[in-house]
Amino acid sequence: MNQALEKLQVGEKIQGISFLPTRESIREFCEASLDFNPLHLDDNYMKTQFGKTQFDGIIMHGMNNFGVISKMITDWVYPQGGMHRRLETRWKSPVKPGDTITPSAIITAIKTTQKGHWVSLDIAVNNQRNEIIAVGEALVEFPIAS
Amino acid sequence: MLITTFETDFWKDERNRKSWDDIIPGQARKTLPYILTLEAIQKYCKVVGDTHPLYFDEAYAKTTPYKGIIAPPAIHILLMFSCTPADDWMRSPGTINAGQSWSYNIPARPNDVIRLEARALDKFIKKDRLFVIHDNVFFNQNNEVICSGRGWTIRPQ
Repeated sequence: MNQALEKLQVGEKIQGISFLPTRESIREFCEASLDFNPLHLDDNYMKTQFGKTQFDGIIMHGMNNFGVISKMITDWVYPQGGMHRRLETRWKSPVKPGDTITPSAIITAIKTTQKGHWVSLDIAVNNQRNEIIAVGEALVEFPIAS
Repeated sequence: MLITTFETDFWKDERNRKSWDDIIPGQARKTLPYILTLEAIQKYCKVVGDTHPLYFDEAYAKTTPYKGIIAPPAIHILLMFSCTPADDWMRSPGTINAGQSWSYNIPARPNDVIRLEARALDKFIKKDRLFVIHDNVFFNQNNEVICSGRGWTIRPQ
């Protein structure tokens, strides 16, 4: 086990970099992801009947949030020789232009298998009001040199 | 044949898409092969604020275990729409992403020819909302799994 990995402990927190979505960044995400769902383009779209769900204006793509979380994980594991292996997310609240979202993770378990050291993480994303807008779990691997 | 253009008007093919009633769990979705370009990788990276040199600097990337530029794990965000046709129900206006779960095997790389195997896996009604679970596996030109994942979506009513 490498030195950095030996120091990891359950309960350790990883802090991600904040992301500030704007109307422009949401439009750019449409272009980069090819997801042109009107939820992200048309402020008036949801004013028509749409079940019980109303967002009052455009919202950021959930997968933009996913990308911000994934970046936090790769920023943390790449320098240590690790690999991002899994990410599961559940979106709790919509993110709107002008919000500031910040991902973080806490190590919940460390397990060694035949070929790797595996670190489990609980994920949370908070907005500027410290509301949790997304939760999830992630798994990273630090391979054992063969 | 590889797709080189993309329809950005999601209303245009709306009548051709399956509604929640029409979606059959277990039935495969139509998919299309897609060449993942360096430009597309870097465009995605920039909009999520990820400028790691593994995605931008070939000289640096060659010094890493990856031996060259790779795409970030979450590149499936782009691949989902690149590898499906305009009448795919994932494009139905009003589709809401409720959650995702993805596993990563090997990284995608510039100029990979990406293939998707996808289907609806389950559908149900919860709190008056119409849900569909879809599952997906992306392969490269060597039939190696890049990543696999599931998504929970709320369907427009």
